[in-house]
Amino acid sequence: MDLLEFLNYLVAFFTIFTTVFFLLLYLKYRKTYYAEPEWDGWTPSVSIVIPAYNEGVHIRKCLDSLSALDYPKEKLEIIVVDDGSSDDTFEQVEKYNVKVVRQKNAGKGAALNRGIEEASGELIATMDADSHVTPEVLKSLIPFFKDKEVAAVTPAVKVASSGSPIKEFQRIEYLMILFSRKLLSYIDAVPVTPGPFSIFRANVFDEVGKFDEHNLVEDQEIALRLQANHYKIKSSVSDRATVYTEPPDNMKDLFIQRKRWQRGGVRNYWKYKSMIKRDFGDFGMFFIPLNFATLGAFFIVFGLLFNAVFNTPYYAQYILVESIVLSANMFTVMGIFVLIASLVWLYTAVSSFRKDRVKMRFILLFVIFYWYMMMGANILMAAAEIRREKCSW
Amino acid sequence: MERKVSWPLYLTAFLISAAVFVAGIFVGKLMDQGDVQTITADVEGLSERLAVVQMLILTEEADSSAFCPLYASELEAIDEEREKLGYELSFLEEKRKLDAPELKKEYFLLEAQSYFLSKKLKDLCEDDSILLLYFYSNKNCSECGQQGADILAARDSTGVNVRIYSFDGEIGSPIAEAFMQQFNVTGYPSVVIDGELHSRYMSEEELASEFSG
Repeated sequence: MDLLEFLNYLVAFFTIFTTVFFLLLYLKYRKTYYAEPEWDGWTPSVSIVIPAYNEGVHIRKCLDSLSALDYPKEKLEIIVVDDGSSDDTFEQVEKYNVKVVRQKNAGKGAALNRGIEEASGELIATMDADSHVTPEVLKSLIPFFKDKEVAAVTPAVKVASSGSPIKEFQRIEYLMILFSRKLLSYIDAVPVTPGPFSIFRANVFDEVGKFDEHNLVEDQEIALRLQANHYKIKSSVSDRATVYTEPPDNMKDLFIQRKRWQRGGVRNYWKYKSMIKRDFGDFGMFFIPLNFATLGAFFIVFGLLFNAVFNTPYYAQYILVESIVLSANMFTVMGIFVLIASLVWLYTAVSSFRKDRVKMRFILLFVIFYWYMMMGANILMAAAEIRREKCSW
Repeated sequence: MERKVSWPLYLTAFLISAAVFVAGIFVGKLMDQGDVQTITADVEGLSERLAVVQMLILTEEADSSAFCPLYASELEAIDEEREKLGYELSFLEEKRKLDAPELKKEYFLLEAQSYFLSKKLKDLCEDDSILLLYFYSNKNCSECGQQGADILAARDSTGVNVRIYSFDGEIGSPIAEAFMQQFNVTGYPSVVIDGELHSRYMSEEELASEFSG
């Protein structure tokens, strides 16, 4: 067996294993998938911190949704940190009965930390200014904190339905991520507290520190830090705990965002690589290695495809159609299995959110087009790392 | 919090994956067999078609130049398919790592059959095609891949009707060994153009000049 064949086998087995593992995880916990702790009247004080930089267009919708929250007003504190906006963010926020803190532009992490310093709640929610929440979001998420080991709870972050294909693809992607995050929460392996909205127990910031102000994906880094300190992060999929976020609406912005996610993600997992040990349970023994393995598998597949294209036999031009048929081998069989399993996975993920109907054509296009296109972000990430491109949020 | 590793889940996933993997290998083997069978059937089919032409040429009444257009067109069609089969065989061997020496030997016999008929056609019908025997090795020949590409490129660039017959000299094919003995081929790559041996690598330009000259 030569090296290329071995790499083919390795990637094929890894892909099948990962797909099967997540399907098994779903089968194991499917009956408790929607079972979430009920609100029992407990109303701890909550501070909602919103960092805002030039968010004049979006922040009204965000604050309007907070005004409609079904939660005692005297227990609620809303803090907007205007991070040196040059637009009318401050003027827009002033119209609401919220606390506004202004500072020179220092980045999202710094703005979040400033808001946390100002916060007085027992629980602190962080929220993006371009997101909006459902009225019951707090009452749905707060009961998770009855468990003293829970340090953070994440809601059902979704993209609102729209006619735009690029947003529809991201809508599917967010549903899939949400589905995966819920399953990972069963094995205490939630790797992110999403920026659009997450709630933290206030005292954990004293114990593990606040947000990393120089991190490209600070919402992931804080979650990894909580995991490193053996805190629980729980995830909700309830419709009542939905947070809608505004995704990039063009390819350029989308790739910029994904490049940042990928670069920040790799750096964060590398930073916490010491967690790869049994003490950290499934998170250490499965999830962190999975991220490195996935990245490795991507570059192996990319290399194999590159090799296949540039090592096409000289006579292939005379048997173009036949060579496609003749290329089918055992890896094709395994590939078909993985494709079917992935489709089942995607369909299960999307259909698990009964109120979020997605058109079938977008699901198919997602699988055959968007999924692979987004892998291109890995190439951008690698290129940026090789060029030592300056990191910026 | 007390953490645990879900070993039973990983073990189950591993076993299912291993089963899928083994099933994949099994189905892959079946596909390999299917492809070999298909090409074997194609080789046999072409061989039968060649036998018909051969029989006609050997028949006294049909041993006349009046039948030349028929022989030429039939042989050209067969040769086109034969070359394609050769590429398919090489593709399976190179890209699918499929080892089918018996099929290759059968294919070389078909090539020989076609070569002899083409030779006969040249004598009988004053056919101006060039007969090229190409001897290569997949084991001990660093220039063979390039040589194969250059032969095709030279044929394409000159537009000359070159009938190519490729033989792997190291798989124990009796017909390949017989040809090698006949033309004193001792190394790879070696090219025999209309009976003349070139026991070295020939560039595209050299080949083109041979074809045109």
